[in-house]
Amino acid sequence: MPGSEVLLGLFFALCLAGVALACLLPERRQPSVLAWLGSAAAVVLILATGWQLLSEQPFALRLWPMLPYGTLGIAMDPLSALFGLVVGLVFLPVSVFSGRYVLKYLEDYSLGYFCVLYFGFLAALVLVLVASDVVLLVLAWEVMSVLSYLLVNYDDKGDEGTRAGFLMLAMSEAGTIAIVIAVAIVANASGRIDFAGIRAAVPHLEGAAGLTVFLLAFVGFGVKAGLIPLNSWLPRAHPVAPTNVSALLSGVMVNLGIYGILRIDVDLLPPIDVGRGLLVLAVGSISALVGILYATIQTDLKRMLAHSTIENMGIVTAALGAGMVFSAAGFSALAGMALITALYHMVNHSLYKTLLFLGSGAVETGAGSRDLDRLGGLASRMPWTSVLFLAGAWSIAGLPPFNGFVSEWLTLQTILRSAVLSSAGVKIVFALAGAMLALTAGLAVTCFVKAFAMGFLGHARSPDARDAREVRPMVRAPMAFLAVCCVLLGVLPTYTIPVLDCAAAPLARASGKDALVPPFFRLPSAGGEGLPGPFVREFHDLGAQIGREVLPGRSLVVLHRGGERNPVVFAMSTSYMVVVLAILLILAYLAFGRATRRRTVARRPAWDGGLRRLRPQLTYTATGFSNPVRVVFHALLRPTVIEETTEAVAEHFRTAVRREYAEVHVVDRLVTHPIIAGTRRLAKTLRMMHIGRVNAYAAYVLVTVLATLVVGQGGDILSRLMTGLGISPE
Amino acid sequence: MTEARNSAPTATGARRDDFFEQLPPALRDGLRVEPGSDAARCTVVCVRQKLRELCRWLFQEIGYVFATLVVEETDAPSWSIAYLFYGPERADWVHVEIQQGIDERTIPSISDIVHAADWHEREAEDLFGLTFEGHPRLGEFILHEDWPDGVNPMRKAFDARGRPERLPETQWEPPTVLQAPGAFAMPVGPVFSDYAESAHFLLETVGEDVVTAIPRFFYKYRGVEKIAEGRTPEDVLLLAERFSGTSALAHGLAFCQAVESVAGAEPPPRARALRCLLAELERLRHHAAAIKGICESTALAVATSQAALIEEDLLRLSCGVAGHRYLFGALRPGGLTLDLAEAQGRELADAIRRIGTRLAELQGMLQYTSSFLDRLEEIGAIPRRLALDYGLVGPVARASGIPWDLRRIVRYAAYGALEFDVPTEAEGDGYARLRVLFREAEQSIALIDRLAVNLPAGPVAVAVAPREGAALGMAEAPIGAAFHWVRLDASGTVSRYRLTSPSFTNWHGFHLAAENFAFQDFPIILASLGLSNAECDR
Amino acid sequence: MTKWVAKGLRTGIKSTRYPDTLEPAPGVSPGRPAGTHLDDDESGARLCGLCPTGALEAEENGVAVLLDRCVHCFRCLRGDAPAVVRWEGDYEWAAIEREAEDARRRLGRAFGRSLHIRFLDAGACGACMSEARQLNNPYYNIHRLGFFITPTPRHADILLVAGPLTDAMRVPLQKTYDAMPSPKRVVAIGACALSGGVFGPSFVSAGGVGELLPVDVVVPGCPPPPLAILHGLLVAVARKPPGPLRSAAPDAG
Repeated sequence: MPGSEVLLGLFFALCLAGVALACLLPERRQPSVLAWLGSAAAVVLILATGWQLLSEQPFALRLWPMLPYGTLGIAMDPLSALFGLVVGLVFLPVSVFSGRYVLKYLEDYSLGYFCVLYFGFLAALVLVLVASDVVLLVLAWEVMSVLSYLLVNYDDKGDEGTRAGFLMLAMSEAGTIAIVIAVAIVANASGRIDFAGIRAAVPHLEGAAGLTVFLLAFVGFGVKAGLIPLNSWLPRAHPVAPTNVSALLSGVMVNLGIYGILRIDVDLLPPIDVGRGLLVLAVGSISALVGILYATIQTDLKRMLAHSTIENMGIVTAALGAGMVFSAAGFSALAGMALITALYHMVNHSLYKTLLFLGSGAVETGAGSRDLDRLGGLASRMPWTSVLFLAGAWSIAGLPPFNGFVSEWLTLQTILRSAVLSSAGVKIVFALAGAMLALTAGLAVTCFVKAFAMGFLGHARSPDARDAREVRPMVRAPMAFLAVCCVLLGVLPTYTIPVLDCAAAPLARASGKDALVPPFFRLPSAGGEGLPGPFVREFHDLGAQIGREVLPGRSLVVLHRGGERNPVVFAMSTSYMVVVLAILLILAYLAFGRATRRRTVARRPAWDGGLRRLRPQLTYTATGFSNPVRVVFHALLRPTVIEETTEAVAEHFRTAVRREYAEVHVVDRLVTHPIIAGTRRLAKTLRMMHIGRVNAYAAYVLVTVLATLVVGQGGDILSRLMTGLGISPE
Repeated sequence: MTEARNSAPTATGARRDDFFEQLPPALRDGLRVEPGSDAARCTVVCVRQKLRELCRWLFQEIGYVFATLVVEETDAPSWSIAYLFYGPERADWVHVEIQQGIDERTIPSISDIVHAADWHEREAEDLFGLTFEGHPRLGEFILHEDWPDGVNPMRKAFDARGRPERLPETQWEPPTVLQAPGAFAMPVGPVFSDYAESAHFLLETVGEDVVTAIPRFFYKYRGVEKIAEGRTPEDVLLLAERFSGTSALAHGLAFCQAVESVAGAEPPPRARALRCLLAELERLRHHAAAIKGICESTALAVATSQAALIEEDLLRLSCGVAGHRYLFGALRPGGLTLDLAEAQGRELADAIRRIGTRLAELQGMLQYTSSFLDRLEEIGAIPRRLALDYGLVGPVARASGIPWDLRRIVRYAAYGALEFDVPTEAEGDGYARLRVLFREAEQSIALIDRLAVNLPAGPVAVAVAPREGAALGMAEAPIGAAFHWVRLDASGTVSRYRLTSPSFTNWHGFHLAAENFAFQDFPIILASLGLSNAECDR
Repeated sequence: MTKWVAKGLRTGIKSTRYPDTLEPAPGVSPGRPAGTHLDDDESGARLCGLCPTGALEAEENGVAVLLDRCVHCFRCLRGDAPAVVRWEGDYEWAAIEREAEDARRRLGRAFGRSLHIRFLDAGACGACMSEARQLNNPYYNIHRLGFFITPTPRHADILLVAGPLTDAMRVPLQKTYDAMPSPKRVVAIGACALSGGVFGPSFVSAGGVGELLPVDVVVPGCPPPPLAILHGLLVAVARKPPGPLRSAAPDAG
């Protein structure tokens, strides 16, 4: 098996080939380029990163020396490998999907341009991940941001679309500025630009500098991850982008924000202060709650999924924050567990969010609309899409035995482990965060039940939905691939966690793997580690060792064991769950099938109170379904009234009643709009400087020059001036 | 109606000149005032151009109340269309009549001025084929969408036993009014709930509150007005009793009084007093059932059982007094078919007093149950002004501050000599309606207690020889004012029977109570209004 | 809330012992006419002429009563005729219309103690529904027999129908019946559902539910008292024997 560096080189070569072919080949060949070359590149990436993760041997490649500061280069350590693996897993199905999807742009837009952007974006993403020094990191980051903006604004969606793209770019650039400053401070403090050098030179960065770097890096990378209050671009950009680009944004690009936070704030600058972790935890929980709240009240599928991305990134960040707190408080094993949790959720989110975005694209293609109030009844006309969308919805709602359940359970259990911390204030923050995350989980179920039920079940609410057709296999296959991944990651957490541990352990300086997936079936005498003897004997008494013959691997995920005095175990096993479910279903089928063989089944229309015919406008809409949430959270949402009128003839004969409300996002209301308003006010004030006379402007120039000299030379000029004036300091 | 002679004086002076003097000069030409059968009634024969102005003056200027619209196809052939108004304070009647040729099928609508006439006009349009110009919402009211166009069942040419060919597959579009993103209409019925009369409600909403409520009735339309034509008064009395079995006595009483008016007969005093006793017994039982319905809708189980016990006891009492639990078959034109012995009367008075104690105890317990009151207070409120515009009647109107009761206004049967209160509340919400029900029940108990042992001596019936003529009979049914217009032809059979029930009047205003409340309040609002679909649909 | 519990306990048990014993309280049933022996045909003919729905039939030795047509007008008891009809005061009025199929059509013991009933108003006047509602009051309390009212036909075993079947209710009635899973039975209550009552077949009503649905048990009366309706339900589950639909004139004595 060639080493991962060779594979990585091959990957970059394929990307380059993709760009070249995009420029050379005619338009109608471009979809094939996308599909074939894109999948090939993704497969190679998966192999490269997978090999890297499994072999546990980081590699580094020096490229250009920039003495005396260090060397520019690329390196792949387990963390990069994990994120790269996710990139590959997402790009593979999206490339296949794109091969079919971009055909709709054949007439009006340049597909070659799209391919160039696509492969460039892929290469830039991976470059960010494998950059081993800050300069390459920032350069690749910038290229990636610009390419993502170009991809988002690829097709013309009118004024609103253009503005959304610009907003994304502007916020990205603001974030980049913050990152650059942070990185500059770190490089300045350590005198090196490569990560290894920084780690060696400055093991901790104390005081104001450390705090500044932390905050700037958090803000800068948080923009990309879509954390509150930096998320304004996300719900605007996703709906206007082409579907495959939305999938990439939510599936891989937001992860890079998490990568950046991990790299700078956890890897290079290990958390020494509990406060930083608490801030991250708080921001994450609030993002999760606000994200899902706005997702629940949306009726546009893609906007709903965009808000849901904010929610999931919030959960990842919250777990991350918990890990930082544990690490700062000295509980390294717990920190390892928390980081494994965060990474697990990130992987899960990428998979099911991509699946859902591809599903929404399939729905839009097949049923002509992505407004839930215009869909309905698609389950009978688009069965494959419905089942695969259901798999995605099931996962994102966190229901067992899919992958969302595993990571949500792990997250909540991690928050519960805050009991070991000593400070009461910290524990209160953890408790509040846990409450918010639990509420988030409940709202997530509501949101996706609404999405699936209103979109796929019930009556078709528009002619397009009534005439919906199933999409082609080339569109269904990528969704199936992702659904299978979701199932596997859900049913086999005990195999996933050791892989994630490779990435998390170096960050936390300890391994959480054995705490999470202990070897239950080996008695202590055989050299088993971690479990107290009485535990294992208890489980053996219960017959746990029977499983050893039947189920070859570890099957239980355990999260809490008390000591000798309070032997308590919280465990979960989706693997066993699936086995037991399967057995029960088969038994039930056999038993009831036998018992009801003589019965006949009559099919009748749904009971509708005796109406002659049930019309679609008499059935629940998505807006109606989510209205109770709107009412309960009224204080947060604060809808403004657009219209509340009644038309009548002669007062009592009503002809029309109109109600319309609009919601401005709470972050926009409380943060963005005040900032914009404040900036405008500041600009207006500064405008008073522009009097319009040349003399004034000349005076400004003079004053500025003097000020610069004074500030620049500072004390020097002052003392010379005083000596010259004869005032000496004696 | 004939009680005007031996009860408290109502109108004074000769109505013909009096009323003509009262008319504003601008209205006088084109109108002709004719006296009615007694001093308290006059007929204004009007030309169609003056109709709206006259009705506006009657309703808005001098505050007369619209009772009913009577459309008749005369033998001429021509149309005789009469709008019946009454003045609640003076207890006098003004019938505004329009005569027009049989081919003239249009008439100006007055629904924008007198909104209470809305449903009457729509009914006339469906059943007679008249067109009311200016009415914004015509079409498909009583006869549902599968009825063939152009066939009007109340026309004389239509055979009541005919079965016209129905339209095969019909496309009914829900008449939605709400325009909002994501709005939908929740259909309720016609088959719904454990026990509910068949009716359909479209509750338009954006998800939490009912924004507009659009009902659809006449699923139970049995064509009583049509099948009554050609029958003897005794047979039509069966229809009047049984079209709404829970108010059988009140409607039967109104019908009998109409026939007695036409025939010029007056029931003897004992009959009139006994009629009042039976009517109050029915009112008491109806109110106990309504109270039970309200407790049931708020799921207060013990209160429901207590009210149900009272209702069943009253049904058994009624069976003991009149031989039938719902008092069917007790009335006849000219009086009653049964009598009440003195011992029976004393037992009845004792039993009623015991029931009064139980009702008072129930009310005392309910008014301190906060979970019950929470669900009833401020729910389904109907403001007084809208109740007046829609012409609501009965306990629903009295709970909204309109103190009118036909027993007080018209003083029919023996009510002229009886003293009783007409309880009125001001809020118009569900709790106000409940309080009115309790207080009216209290009044009924007092009346029964007094009447049962104080019946005047004498026969319980006189012979009635029907002759040609028409009259309006009315009674205060438990749900409100009921008007029965009966025309007998020369052979003494019924040639036109116009039946206006209080539920028909009040269901018109139902949407005022149901809108802008949450879905879970809907059954409570229905129960607090306590209306009957059978009575409305006829 | 405790005052309500105390009140309920103080009120005690009010349920009737029917069907174990007959209910002796007065006022539970208006009674109905029964076949009457008369000595001469003249009074028989006059008596039959009084009935507005044709429920009285002249026979050799008196008048017979077609019980499904009686609307309780009381003319044959209180009217102007030289003879009056015999009046019986009981309430076990339920009958089965199609004699040949009775054994197969009753629901049987399996449903005898757990029966779900959907009430449907096909144009009824309100009295039949009011009597059916009394079944849930403490006096009759059908829950003690295992009978329940359900709002959805999907859970119902029995469709309890009242009213003369107006044309507008044909489709809802058919849909309700179709929505019920088998085995299911129909119990029609009230003179209107049996023979049209006073509303009869007309331009808007069918004059009886039997025109649309297969009716298994009929309960005559106008309205049938709650105990008669209860008897009908017990007949439908074979816990009680049915009565006759025609009361023939007895011989003298």
